[in-house]
Amino acid sequence: MRIYGASSEETLRARRLLTDWAGEGYLTKAQYQVLEQETVFELRTTNIFLRLVLFLFTLISVGATAGLFFVVFLSRPSEQTAGVFFLIFAAVCYAAAEVAVSKARLYRYGIEEALAVCSVGFLCAGMQAALFSGSHFSPRPDAAQFLVPAAGAVFSLWIWHRFGFSYAFLAAMIFVPFLPGYWTASHSEQRLMVAAFYAAGLASVAAVRSRHRFDYLDEGYSVVEAMLWLGIYVAINLQLSSLNILSFNLLVRSWGGIRASAEFAKPFYWGTWVVIWLLPPIILARGFRQKDRFVIAVGAIAATLTLVCNKPYLGWPRHTWDPILLGILLTAVAVLIRRWLAQGPGGIRHGFTAARLSGKDKHWMNVGSNVLGLVSPQSITPEPQTSNAGVHFGGGHSGGGGASSDF
Amino acid sequence: MTGPENELFMTILARLEQWKQQSEISPEQHAYLAGLSRGEPFSLFLELNVLLYAGVLAFVAGLGWTVSTWSEQLGDVLVLTVLSTILATCFWYCFSRAPAWSPAETPAPNPIFDYVLYLGGLVWSVELVYVEKRFNVLSGRLDFPLLATAILFFFLAYRFDNRFVLSLGLSSLAGWFGLTISRWSGSQEAVYRQDALLYCLLVSVGGAILQRRGLKPHFFETYLNIVANVLFWALLSGVFNREGYGLWFLALFIACAASLAWGLRRRQFVFVAYAAVYGYVGVSSMFLRGVSGETAILGYFVVTGVAMLVLLVQIGRRFGGPA
Repeated sequence: MRIYGASSEETLRARRLLTDWAGEGYLTKAQYQVLEQETVFELRTTNIFLRLVLFLFTLISVGATAGLFFVVFLSRPSEQTAGVFFLIFAAVCYAAAEVAVSKARLYRYGIEEALAVCSVGFLCAGMQAALFSGSHFSPRPDAAQFLVPAAGAVFSLWIWHRFGFSYAFLAAMIFVPFLPGYWTASHSEQRLMVAAFYAAGLASVAAVRSRHRFDYLDEGYSVVEAMLWLGIYVAINLQLSSLNILSFNLLVRSWGGIRASAEFAKPFYWGTWVVIWLLPPIILARGFRQKDRFVIAVGAIAATLTLVCNKPYLGWPRHTWDPILLGILLTAVAVLIRRWLAQGPGGIRHGFTAARLSGKDKHWMNVGSNVLGLVSPQSITPEPQTSNAGVHFGGGHSGGGGASSDF
Repeated sequence: MTGPENELFMTILARLEQWKQQSEISPEQHAYLAGLSRGEPFSLFLELNVLLYAGVLAFVAGLGWTVSTWSEQLGDVLVLTVLSTILATCFWYCFSRAPAWSPAETPAPNPIFDYVLYLGGLVWSVELVYVEKRFNVLSGRLDFPLLATAILFFFLAYRFDNRFVLSLGLSSLAGWFGLTISRWSGSQEAVYRQDALLYCLLVSVGGAILQRRGLKPHFFETYLNIVANVLFWALLSGVFNREGYGLWFLALFIACAASLAWGLRRRQFVFVAYAAVYGYVGVSSMFLRGVSGETAILGYFVVTGVAMLVLLVQIGRRFGGPA
């Protein structure tokens, strides 16, 4: 069912590994040149920057074409008519994505990706407009409206399965929290349903990926499994809204997170508190056992979020020095693990090492240090606290590592 | 059949075995590379670095928050003593453990070295602003401390070969030029645009000279990326002017051409992307000035969007394999 041939994708993976190994000096230049000839693939690929730009311009072209169609051929269409045409656009976009891959052999090229994304968007807009026009003004929306996010989730899953785009799976996951609202008014039940959906997905992925431990599909499944673990954690943690992260806050608030302790029944509330402490070690154990980078990362994120959310959960006041303690803890953990690994024979313990083995790690470090070095001073500068402030910091600009902030 | 059951399908492990049998790689190479493919050993290098970075960031955030909230209760002496002690410890650690200076890329002497230096740089910033705001040493003028901070960060970045601190230095210098994001939408836009252009000129010329002289030439990419973004934002803000935008548009056109040429010549496709996106925004703003009809606007986006796609696909075909 996958649109790309397994041999093509595995060859592409082999080529990337060869490039990495040659860059790290594990292969000589002569060996690389010989082996490169044996990993020729017929797919048309591009680099990440052109991919992003091609994605952007495909979105612009498709969106403008649809808009132009409505303006030129349909003046003031009814919602049903517009919906039908949206569904036609969805079909056309999907067909174009298929053709772009099967005929032009595009692989992660931006164009076929944007077409697939547009097809999901048009499908949802079309179903909403064609089947439920006018119901969004109704005080009690039609219960059958769950079909729209359900169709979005199913179609996104299909796109992921067919093309292998991990973000299509993420889109499917984002559609899921919109479903339970049509079935129950209880926020605790909604959260449990979402967590159950993700857990079912996790069980399926875990069962399937064991067959692909050493082939090209493993990385894709790894990303998906990590996203599902994170999804379960976010669904269960009722205090994520206490984090002062604007965009994340908006998402969580829209899901009733802000009402945390007041709204949920006590057994449910304290049950979730237990689960947010249990999940990080489970995720980390799974990640380390599978040697899965993405799952380990999600385990670490979940562990950090649990530490940060614990006080709000217990109703304890936050202190200004809490981040200092968190920082010391994170640094100490990193240093201790590194030292412990380094003291093993050859710097390896239980199959893990702190040494760099791939050029990709160095590349990501360079990119990260450039970007985060510019961004972080602004993001860590605190907002003024008027209640306690004899002296107050303010704003914080990127200049001077926050040195342009006002007290 | 397109699945792994396909007879043409060969995992990397099977390929390595085949290459060993064909004597294209040695048995030792085979053992090592097969191990790497299976995640044996599995490197936690990136994860531990991210953990260290997050730890430093959380620590400094907490430090700044605590100082700003409790400075009166704690007293200036205690606050300054603590900050100065951390600062002195960080710099002592770095200067005492750093290898001899080399103009070439130099690896850090140990894995935590870069983060100790970064911590020192951030604590320096916190302490500097605290001193200035509490004691008003420079009568509220933060431009001198910003310049001094930028110079210090550049010195530290070049001494210890640290990109984190280089980025801090570049952002401090931008701050000195009055180029902070919150000010960008202010009324004195023309003045800030000039500041931005001056900043770009200084950083690009400085970076080029240092690169030509062989002083940490690997930093040049960082300079170029920052300069490109600041320059394009500045030029675009000029193009968006209601009057007198012609010169800015010409400058944007030249900058896009230069960015495109540089990106293609050096195979650094991020500059091709800059040229495409910033250029498209500028050209669209010019063409759509005064156009009000929906059909014309949408028609413009259809035609130009497709044209950009065709152009970029041609560039991709000719130059842009996976980086």
